[in-house]
Amino acid sequence: MGPAPAGEQQRGAPGEPEVMELAQEGTGKEGKKASSKKRAAAASPADGLLQPVKLSRAELYKEPTSEELNRLRETESLFHSSLLRLQVEELLKEVKLSEKKKDRIDAFLRGVNQSIMRVPSVPETELTDQAWLPAGVRVPVHQVPYIVKGCFRFLPPAQVTVVGSYLLGTCIRPDINVDVALTMPREILQDKDGLNQRYFRKRALYLAHLAHHLAQDPLFGSVRFSYTNGCHLKPSVLLRPCGKDERLVTVRLHPCPPPDFFRPCRLLPTKNNVRSAWYQGQSPAAADSPEPPTPHYNSWVLQDTALESHLQLLSTMLGPALGLKDGVALLKVWLRQRELDKGRGGFSGFLISMLVAFLVSTRKIHTTMSGYQVLRSVLQFLASTDLTINGISLCLSADPTLPALADFHQAFPVVFLDSSGRLNLCADVTAATYHQVQHEARLSMALLDSKADDALQLLLMTPKPMIRTFDHVLHLRPLSRLQAACHRLKLWPELQDNGGDYVSAALGPLTTLLEQGLGSRLHLLAHSRPPVPEWDISQEPPKHKDSGALTLGLLLRPEGLTSVLELGPEADQPEAADFRQFWGSRSELRRFQDGAIREAVVWEAASMFQKRLIPHQVVTHLLALHADIPDTCVHYAGSLLDSLLQGLKESSNTGEEALAAAVRCYDDLSRQLWGLEGLPLTVSAVQGAHPVLRYTEVFPPAPVRPAYSFYEHLRERASLVPRPDKPCPAYVEPMTVICHLEGSGQWPQDAEAIRRVRAAFQLRLAELLSQQHGLRCRAAATHTDVLKDGFVFRIRVAYQREPQILKEIRSPEGMITLRDTPASLRLERDTRQLPLLSSALHGLQQQHPAFSGVARLAKRWVRAQLLGEEFTDESLDLVAASLFLHPEPFTPPSSPQVGFLRFLFLVSTFDWKNTPLIVNLNSELTVEEQAEIRSSFLAARTQLPVMVILTPQDRKSSVWTQNGPSAQILQQLVVLAAEALPVLEKQLMDPRGPGDIRTVFRPPLDIYDVLIRLSARHVPRHRQAVDSPAASFCRGLLREPGPSSLMPVLGYDPPQLYLAQLREAFGDLALFFYDRHGGEVIGVLWKPSSFQPQPFKASSMKGRTLLSQGGELVMVPNVEAILEDFAVLGEGLVQAVEARSERWTV
Amino acid sequence: MVARRRKQAAAGGGGATPSPPGYSAVPVKFSEKQQAPHYLYLREHKVREGAPSSWPQKRTLFVLNVPPYCTEECLGRLLCSCGPVQSVRLQAKPDLAESPEEPTSKFFHPKPVPGFQVAYVVFQKPKAVSAALSLKGPLLVSTESHPVSSGIHKWIADYAGSVLDPEALRLEVDTFMEAYDQRTAEEEAKAKEEEGVPDEEGWVKVTRRGRRPVLPRTEAASLRVLEREKRKRARKELLNFYAWQHRETKMEHLAQLRKKFEEDKQRIELMRAQRKFRPY
Repeated sequence: MGPAPAGEQQRGAPGEPEVMELAQEGTGKEGKKASSKKRAAAASPADGLLQPVKLSRAELYKEPTSEELNRLRETESLFHSSLLRLQVEELLKEVKLSEKKKDRIDAFLRGVNQSIMRVPSVPETELTDQAWLPAGVRVPVHQVPYIVKGCFRFLPPAQVTVVGSYLLGTCIRPDINVDVALTMPREILQDKDGLNQRYFRKRALYLAHLAHHLAQDPLFGSVRFSYTNGCHLKPSVLLRPCGKDERLVTVRLHPCPPPDFFRPCRLLPTKNNVRSAWYQGQSPAAADSPEPPTPHYNSWVLQDTALESHLQLLSTMLGPALGLKDGVALLKVWLRQRELDKGRGGFSGFLISMLVAFLVSTRKIHTTMSGYQVLRSVLQFLASTDLTINGISLCLSADPTLPALADFHQAFPVVFLDSSGRLNLCADVTAATYHQVQHEARLSMALLDSKADDALQLLLMTPKPMIRTFDHVLHLRPLSRLQAACHRLKLWPELQDNGGDYVSAALGPLTTLLEQGLGSRLHLLAHSRPPVPEWDISQEPPKHKDSGALTLGLLLRPEGLTSVLELGPEADQPEAADFRQFWGSRSELRRFQDGAIREAVVWEAASMFQKRLIPHQVVTHLLALHADIPDTCVHYAGSLLDSLLQGLKESSNTGEEALAAAVRCYDDLSRQLWGLEGLPLTVSAVQGAHPVLRYTEVFPPAPVRPAYSFYEHLRERASLVPRPDKPCPAYVEPMTVICHLEGSGQWPQDAEAIRRVRAAFQLRLAELLSQQHGLRCRAAATHTDVLKDGFVFRIRVAYQREPQILKEIRSPEGMITLRDTPASLRLERDTRQLPLLSSALHGLQQQHPAFSGVARLAKRWVRAQLLGEEFTDESLDLVAASLFLHPEPFTPPSSPQVGFLRFLFLVSTFDWKNTPLIVNLNSELTVEEQAEIRSSFLAARTQLPVMVILTPQDRKSSVWTQNGPSAQILQQLVVLAAEALPVLEKQLMDPRGPGDIRTVFRPPLDIYDVLIRLSARHVPRHRQAVDSPAASFCRGLLREPGPSSLMPVLGYDPPQLYLAQLREAFGDLALFFYDRHGGEVIGVLWKPSSFQPQPFKASSMKGRTLLSQGGELVMVPNVEAILEDFAVLGEGLVQAVEARSERWTV
Repeated sequence: MVARRRKQAAAGGGGATPSPPGYSAVPVKFSEKQQAPHYLYLREHKVREGAPSSWPQKRTLFVLNVPPYCTEECLGRLLCSCGPVQSVRLQAKPDLAESPEEPTSKFFHPKPVPGFQVAYVVFQKPKAVSAALSLKGPLLVSTESHPVSSGIHKWIADYAGSVLDPEALRLEVDTFMEAYDQRTAEEEAKAKEEEGVPDEEGWVKVTRRGRRPVLPRTEAASLRVLEREKRKRARKELLNFYAWQHRETKMEHLAQLRKKFEEDKQRIELMRAQRKFRPY
């Protein structure tokens, strides 16, 4: 009886896939051969750079073979593009089991089978008498209550059967599990074993005895207990091979009852099988109320009886169809990347296989479909079907004795019945989990439909961990609080049904409660699924509270975040009582402008920062009110990083309001410019061109109120000048505004003359603004500084045709050609592209209120790593914008925290070498245009900068990264981001609190050759440092507005001036790194190439000295003198120059 | 310190500081306090016979490796011990050809931040050059009698200097524009005079100012004309009319697919090399 069928199945079933696998490998090898030939031709892609493909004419236009045509046709009809097809094939190769491993697993399975059959029997004892159990093993369930009727004896299993994905060939690496069902002999079981956990107790004892004996078998590397699908009443034994195969496979043993042992009608979802009297330990007389149904308990029993029928169903449905198996494998990868399949109540691979079978049976999927099409169809089905409302069933029979779907909907949140019509396959899946699956499916469908080039990459290869997916994450800890919550929420029947698992019992009601409370602020609420524990057989099974913490993820709706009001029903309506009951003391009667008197809840939130945190208030309030969970048990990770954007002594906002104030002032100014009377030409456009005006300046400007005694006065120019004997005054950066004047024949057509005319306009502007609006102005040749309400703007007059005039070159024949010159490019960038970009990003901020926070946090981090000078403001802003415009596979971030994590992820994983970062501002680029941009990028790769960011306005040249970063600097940033991301994620996911969140913002200083320490006295932005100093210097500002208005000191930042000098003097010998936000140290790296002795050359003598080396004169850097120069050039600013000379030699 | 030890060894071995042929090395320091000096490399400014040079022969000293804190006045002061100095000019690069005398306006051409520079020092007498070549040094840039500011003091002075007088700017702009207007008016008058007047070979020059507007002679305009022609031709052509055309379009489509396939294969190859297919 026993081993034979198992053996047969093992040999029989994988036989078929073997043939198919071979066929597949055949094509794979062909492909490889061709590509290896090409590899030799195409200058080796080993250096990781894509080359444009060159094919000879003969190769391109040769007669096609019928095979080739077939393949092309197949690609066209079954896949989206040939790239997709190749990608799918590669991916499947990566996750599928190889034949070699299959053979080794088969051998191991035969060994398992034999060892199981060798386990000796045990004579019959009472269930409660467990003295016969040997010392080294514990019963793998919590026996609460302990007293239970019945007898137990051990007999070897009647049948050992391999079930599950291994036989179907749909299991995927790296965690290969083989499920083995052990059919317990009928003699062990008795009538009524379905009642009061008796069956489960026997099952556990059966496993305990089995595990004890298997542990002594040298075949196994480890024998451990775990739970089947996380259900704590149903343990299973995990067997792993010993030696080097330890990680190859895990065999899970599931005991199951003999077929037809349980009567299915006893296990319907409406039936009770756990008596309250037994469960609560009372005498039966006390219970006169009807017993509550135990649907979950029943379905756990039913699951054990249906193992084989499920296998049969799947193998008839999926068995012969290769495409379906591929599809299942792809879907499993999809689920796994989203962490949906793991843990208790996850949407497991088994469920998805059953779903594919269901779709085959309803003819939504055909057996000839490719894996990609199966993936699409299933995602489409998930996206469009809500199983929480309309359940589905695999059952085809119209038997009237079967329960109705509605019965299942009453008992379970998600309904998907198996072919018997009695078992809900989704019994443990919560509504929140299913909604998360649905949400992911919808996102994925949108991505697939967008025909993006890298859709598959984003869909199947990008992990979506919780912390990077959800805007806010909160941890409930300790879990034991949930037990009290269960009592508070009156969940006793659920507890009884779940066998005392208070986490599972409370999960559903808690998520519903929070979903209702968050209402319009919430897009999706997801919860972590308790992980499935694994423990040694000599240990007690872990308790429910041992699974750490319960983590909830909130995906917020940005539009809902702006309101501080929760509007309830009118006071005289009957719903008002419910509303009051729901919100408790927070609900109050309010009279509104339209005269209505309503119940309402008002949250205290003045700034954007506080409004983003309203969900925190809601969650803590509701949990405390309804579930007795105090706020000390709620660890909310949603705004931990925001403190890095907060100014000194300001913890109530993250600067969005200050930025908006500056923008309002700018709007005022632009209106004044438009209405200016007396300008010879009219203003045709006023555009902002400064990070403040697109909300991406890390620290927003505050209105300046200088204390005059602190400064030297330049009376005739009405300006202030810093005093050498005082600390450096506050840093005021003028905000650039470009003011275009209309074109006219009056403009001269000569570059030098245009500059003079522009200067004349600057003077005139200053005059008119001070005359007509009483603003303090100061004109220079290229700009006019205007002081308005404490903000300083720098207006630059621009003339549309000027870049073109700079470009004009007259050839000897008199033909005028346009050629880009450095001057014309610079002018075009500053007066045309920068304002366009600024307005586009300004628009983005209006759509996504979190953009400002993300961009600023990202910039802050890059600068804190001392790399800020190498990246232009605009390039970092664009990278941040791409997180909002191309969020796939995520949704656009609604909190700075999640946006910053994705920034780190993007920076650390993006392939800058082979792909341009296309930022589709205002969605101006079509898919075809993007493809064209990509191909022209490949053709011109060598002329383009290291980091290429393209926008609709700039499709070829990547303006903002032209002058850096260099490849080394970019690499350094990638490395730093890759290091920072896991550290930060671990901190945020730590339910005990994040620890020091600023860790990832502190730069490593040990990589630098020389450190120049600056004195804080002359660092004007000292207070902005990551570790804000306890005390700093007075910067000459008043708290209240002063009497008159002299022009404050503008753009005076000694460290920046010092750096400019250093770079000019020693730029070809060394690199200088500095954090402009209060950095107190400049890191210096020598360029290794400049330390090579070179022969004498007059033009490259800079800072070098001559040495005679081997009779020849060579130039080497005069390091000692240079180190002293560092101090000389920065006199007053430099505190010390630390040379770590052990790091270099001349 | 490794670097220092080596330098000392070199200095000890060689005796005098080494200098390239034709140059003499003079140590220069910022002040007494500085330990290690930079070296100025001095040479008489010479050009090949006949080559034009804006610097007077024999009297000009060429100085290499002038540190950033050393200004023109300061260099003049350092070298005046050799003989009276006529002029000092600092430049970023040595140039042998005539340096264009740019109209340096402090409004429109602000001084760049100095790095290491070269200098041309013109003495009044030729013998001062040879005296300079035999200087021993070390020269001090900043002394008690003539302090040179650096660091905070310099930056504050620079800042105060950058706040310019708008009236002076207005004056400069006005004079420039007057001259410019005059120049353009003259040119226009000349063009007007030549309008329609044939030259000695009988050619008449057509300008923009003629009665009938003509196409401007720019590259963009000629490209536009070519493009228009091309479009016109394409419109007339018959597509997919003959059987061979049909065949060729099909073949072309196939070739496109093949090319795409090859490209994709290359990308896959690269992704495999980068282990992009490891999903987790």
